[in-house]
Amino acid sequence: MPTRRSFMALSALAAPSLAALPRRAGAAPLKELRYRLTEDPESLHSGQSVSLTVNTCLNFLHDRLIYIDNEGKPQPWLAESWSFSEDNRQITFTLRPGTKFHDGTELDAAAVKFHFDSILDPKMASPVRGQISALESCEVLDPLRFRLTFSRPFAAAMILLSSATYGVNSPTAVQKAGRQYGRRPVGTGPYMFKSWSAGTELVLVRNPHYRQLRPDAVNKGAPYADQITLSVLPEEGVAFSALQTGELSAAELQTDTVERLRQDKRFAVVIDEKAKNILFLEFSFRPPFDERAMRDAISHAIDREAILRASYSGYGAIDLSPLSRGIPGYDQAVADQYGTPYDPAKAKALLDEAGWKPGPEGLRVKDGKEAKFAVRSYANPVTDRALAVIQSNLADLGVGISISTADWGTFYPSLLREGWDMDLNRWTYSDPLVLTNLFRPPGHRRTLPEDAELTRILTAVDSTLDPAERQKVVSEAQKAILERRLMVPILTNHQVTITQAGLQNYRFDYLNQVLHGDVRMSDW
Amino acid sequence: MSRYVLRRLLMALPVVIGILLVTFMIQAVIPTDAVSAMYEGQTTEEEAAEAIAAMRERYGLDQPWYIQFTRYAGNVLHGDFGESIRLRRPVSEEIGYRFINTLQLTGAALLIGILVGVPMGILSAAKKDTWLDLGAMTVGLLGISMPAFFFGLLLILVFAVWLQWIPVVPRGGAALLLPALTLGLIEAAPLSRIARSAMIELLRRDHIRAARSRGMGEMSVILRHALPGTLLAVMTVIGLQFGNLLGGAFIIEVIFGWRGIGELGVKAIQWRDFALTQAIILISAGAHIGANLVVDVLYAWIDPRVDYDT
Repeated sequence: MPTRRSFMALSALAAPSLAALPRRAGAAPLKELRYRLTEDPESLHSGQSVSLTVNTCLNFLHDRLIYIDNEGKPQPWLAESWSFSEDNRQITFTLRPGTKFHDGTELDAAAVKFHFDSILDPKMASPVRGQISALESCEVLDPLRFRLTFSRPFAAAMILLSSATYGVNSPTAVQKAGRQYGRRPVGTGPYMFKSWSAGTELVLVRNPHYRQLRPDAVNKGAPYADQITLSVLPEEGVAFSALQTGELSAAELQTDTVERLRQDKRFAVVIDEKAKNILFLEFSFRPPFDERAMRDAISHAIDREAILRASYSGYGAIDLSPLSRGIPGYDQAVADQYGTPYDPAKAKALLDEAGWKPGPEGLRVKDGKEAKFAVRSYANPVTDRALAVIQSNLADLGVGISISTADWGTFYPSLLREGWDMDLNRWTYSDPLVLTNLFRPPGHRRTLPEDAELTRILTAVDSTLDPAERQKVVSEAQKAILERRLMVPILTNHQVTITQAGLQNYRFDYLNQVLHGDVRMSDW
Repeated sequence: MSRYVLRRLLMALPVVIGILLVTFMIQAVIPTDAVSAMYEGQTTEEEAAEAIAAMRERYGLDQPWYIQFTRYAGNVLHGDFGESIRLRRPVSEEIGYRFINTLQLTGAALLIGILVGVPMGILSAAKKDTWLDLGAMTVGLLGISMPAFFFGLLLILVFAVWLQWIPVVPRGGAALLLPALTLGLIEAAPLSRIARSAMIELLRRDHIRAARSRGMGEMSVILRHALPGTLLAVMTVIGLQFGNLLGGAFIIEVIFGWRGIGELGVKAIQWRDFALTQAIILISAGAHIGANLVVDVLYAWIDPRVDYDT
């Protein structure tokens, strides 16, 4: 530990070397924007990773075939049109002519086929194949037309194809770089890859030939910034400091940290209210949760507002529907009619009625069994706080819970075994297909009882492509899940980004991505 | 000496194999693998069944653990650490430069620790029971007690945010400065305490009393007669502390975004990426064994009483 003298001496020794450092963003000759990454991306090979961080990086590098507008409907981007076959198992896309990759080669139907073939190739063992599981093949019809064939009508296809994970790679670059392609990607987006210091930063440069084809973009030409630096800053305190010193143009921060910067005029707060995550409590369906009364009572006993305040400082929205508000198909009317708002008196009455009477130690008892249950979740400060509120809510109801948390890789598989009664889970997905994946019997943790009607509804969510029809079945699915009290929807948290006050056009599209070609500093 | 080194290296072999086997078995009993961990909160196993099966087959995860281990051990003996499932790159490509970075960080930290800690300990011993001694030892106690992540953030706050002498996100060689200072100054604390107690002990010895009685100056007594003995004690601690430094580097690398093996190790465990985890453990174990061996060899160089050949 230094004495004051050694501290000053070391500081003085450090000073000359610091003089040689690049100057801060504000005074730099380059028009540079610097953003935070909370972790190092594992690879930038689109089609070979399902990581959300990778998706964030790919959004700079890749335009997509289609995008989703603010109404949740697919719109042309690199593809100018598409049509479905009669059985809805095939989608034929027509590409716009003249789109070039960063390496100057053309994005044509053959390039798209090359891309999807790499996802389907068992030798590549792409995790993306698990997302677009129904995809069977991609065939070239002519230089600008290609056809995707699915094993079944796959309603989530359009949402998935509009994600940066499905941005098309340059076949020439992939073949040239081989296994190293993930470290030097080539796409069609507003920024081009320049360098990557693994674990430290990614540097991207302006694509001077870029033309933005989305009508909702402000800037139709090359992006404003010369350079983008994505700094890997997992530690919240470091990102907070880097924003204060102006070394970051914007950073997504945890809501606790946001509160400390919200009143500071040097910064602006950008809240993405179209978030697609949902925090929910679900039941094991083992006794007594096989009876509706206990599920019903707990559904009314959870104070969602308190959890939102405790876990996310209020940045989010409480959920009464099993579908997050940001996902197309969310039905407010169903949530209002069939949701289970916080009503502790009703929760107590439900348990009284079901024969769960207050016992000697504050816990309810029925047929000699105490209402004491095991709750599991994944370890995270947010879930820790949510669980504390849930524990308190349920204690008021006369229900005791023991809580155990572990990292996701331990927690999630553990739900396939016995020994738990409820779990607090969080899921992020952009399509209503999430309802099918989670709740089509026997459910994602193999606990739900057989239910032909629910299976029919959730299969329809998976396979109905007509937008109006799909809206109907998605509403029906929300209602069916709520009526059966399969889970307790709690909240959707909003992504909160702090930007320097001078940063303009930093906004999110429907799929929570920034149109990076639009973003600029006010003094540029 | 060479026979001793060879013997030590041979003795290290079963240790390394044991470490590999134990970590492999721990991973085998964990109810998940890298493939399941990849889809965290996004896609269910049912939906991704085909892709999961393809990935498990490609990386041999569909085989019993002892076959996986035998295959892995055989490949390692041929210098092949396998491919990271998550990074989709050969493990050796990823950990090679990262290990060098970690060695740079721990080396710089050790140097800072020695340069600050040892003189501070000696000074405390020489000025025992004065305000200087009390102050130095209080600071040392603070250093031992303070968590590395907190001290790291404190240095960022002082140097980057308040004084603005260094960027929060530095580039190039400057990026080493704060993480090395954080680790080094924390390392200086135990070194100063060991140096102090060893020096105090030595200063009570007969040969020191004899030197003083011959009229030698206090500085000469300390530097010529007490310092070599003190360094022996410090050397032992340095060998042991090397493990602490590597452990500390794991946290410091995450905070400062220093692309070392520790930062990757944390990720590898979260990802259940066994090829990556095994390689990192293997290299860390090797580094521990190497550091202790170097310390033992240095003993003989510093202390003429030690002779490994007899």
